Amino acid sequence: MKPALSVIFFTVASGAGLGLLVWLLVASLMANHIRMDATTFYQGAAIAAALITAGLFASTLHLANRKNVIYALTRVRTSWLAREGAFAIALYPLAALHLYGLQSGMPQLTPITLGLLIADCIVVLYCTGMIYGCLKTIPRWNTWMTPVKYVLFGLMSGAVLLPAVLTLRPVEIGPVGRPMVAIVLLALGLVLYLTYLVKNPRNQHTINDALGFQQGKVRLLDVGHSHGTFLTNEFGFSVARDKARLLRWIAIACGFIVPLILCYFSQWFWTASIICLVGLLVERWLFFAEAEHVVRLYHGQQRV
Amino acid sequence: MRLGLAIDLDTCVGCHACAVACKEWNGQSLMGGAPDYDAYGKAPSGTWYNRIRHYELEGDPTYSPHQCGSKADPSAHQPLSKTINVPMSCMHCEEAHCVTVCPTGASYKRAEDGIVLVDPSRCMGCNYCAWACPYGARELDQDEGVMKKCTLCVDRIYDAQLAEADRQPACVLACPTHARHFGDYDDPQSKVSLLAASRGTQSMLDDLGYKPTNAYLSPRKPVEVKTELPLRQGLSDKAKAFVNRLIQL
Repeated sequence: MKPALSVIFFTVASGAGLGLLVWLLVASLMANHIRMDATTFYQGAAIAAALITAGLFASTLHLANRKNVIYALTRVRTSWLAREGAFAIALYPLAALHLYGLQSGMPQLTPITLGLLIADCIVVLYCTGMIYGCLKTIPRWNTWMTPVKYVLFGLMSGAVLLPAVLTLRPVEIGPVGRPMVAIVLLALGLVLYLTYLVKNPRNQHTINDALGFQQGKVRLLDVGHSHGTFLTNEFGFSVARDKARLLRWIAIACGFIVPLILCYFSQWFWTASIICLVGLLVERWLFFAEAEHVVRLYHGQQRV
Repeated sequence: MRLGLAIDLDTCVGCHACAVACKEWNGQSLMGGAPDYDAYGKAPSGTWYNRIRHYELEGDPTYSPHQCGSKADPSAHQPLSKTINVPMSCMHCEEAHCVTVCPTGASYKRAEDGIVLVDPSRCMGCNYCAWACPYGARELDQDEGVMKKCTLCVDRIYDAQLAEADRQPACVLACPTHARHFGDYDDPQSKVSLLAASRGTQSMLDDLGYKPTNAYLSPRKPVEVKTELPLRQGLSDKAKAFVNRLIQL
């Protein structure tokens, strides 16, 4: 698949923003325990909102006909893309309601909106994963690991961002402790990513299945077009094996191992967050670049 | 009704006439619009609803009983000895996942005849339906920014102003070898149903579960020419055997 930068940025930025929002809300429940003041909460919420909103805007950049984007929420009953959009937009009125509850002193409102916000964030992450996970035409994506990966990586990058946000609070409240949630999620994320690398489904279909001639070898004689088409442009992207291997190591190191070390042994949470996001961007680029669509079989590839 | 095409892989000669006729009809139709990009330049490309690809089959002995290449092992797979031409357009699947994934409702499947269409006034050009299509049937119109696909010439097949015989998709009418047939698969007596039943059809990625409506008729098995002499030989048998021996040299 062609790795569209707008979609890669969208999934990573919105994922981190949603994760950060979840952990900020959880942290606000135990604000006394971790000693988070209101200003820090709002600063963190602003960062989360900026990440989510920037991501959502970026996601519209790859649309070829943006004026019809208003119809994009009309098929929530069937389309994961519509569901994702609807739940993502639902965040804004929910957040407004939550803010209203916090500011105007309606304490009976905030537990409900807080619960709904946390649930909505996780549902949005799940829907984003299912946009890719539901496609039977792309075997590498069509696995339970895809939505789990989107939810876990979102929560993980958010959990790394939370201690970074907490370092913004006044000095008298004291230093940030060891962020155990981030450390645990980074470890889980690493395990899931390695599992995905080993276990993702591939070589599920052959050119014989594509044409229905099961005996003997089938090979493309002529593809019928003299230059690139929409299909070769969209689905023909291939990444060199050496380059993919290098990028995979970068994703493993930057996405998981380096932030894990930084979170465990140091207080450099902003550095850890940025390295983690860079690693996730590389991981997401590979997720698209290495995915193979079954239409490649008709273009002569032997297995997908 | 379940309208669709039956495409004969035996008689298709891969001339691309169907694709050209499609482009000619749909390039200026209301439903369609199939622009070219850099048509006379260095990298000509364009939006097509139908593409023809050509493949070589190795040695399926059912399709190539005549030995060619090595004669040592007649049951072994022969070298790439059979060429097939595969025109591919929208299959108008019964389980059209391209319609399910569409967030705007621009992609739809008509209940009355099963034709899958795109409403250009709703499409936002996200390409998601093209991702969901295993057959590469959907291509983006880069001028308008909306998805385009085979309409089964919906603006032809119901046009009462046309003669009865002309109410068929442009590709079917254009095919010089009559390799393309159009009809209703829900009617067991229709030409396409009878052809599919009698000839057998190719299973193309059926395990994905899209249930394509279009059928690809399997190539017929060639008649094997016997070179041994029959027990009672007439003069014509002797002549045939002699010619066959000459050919087999």
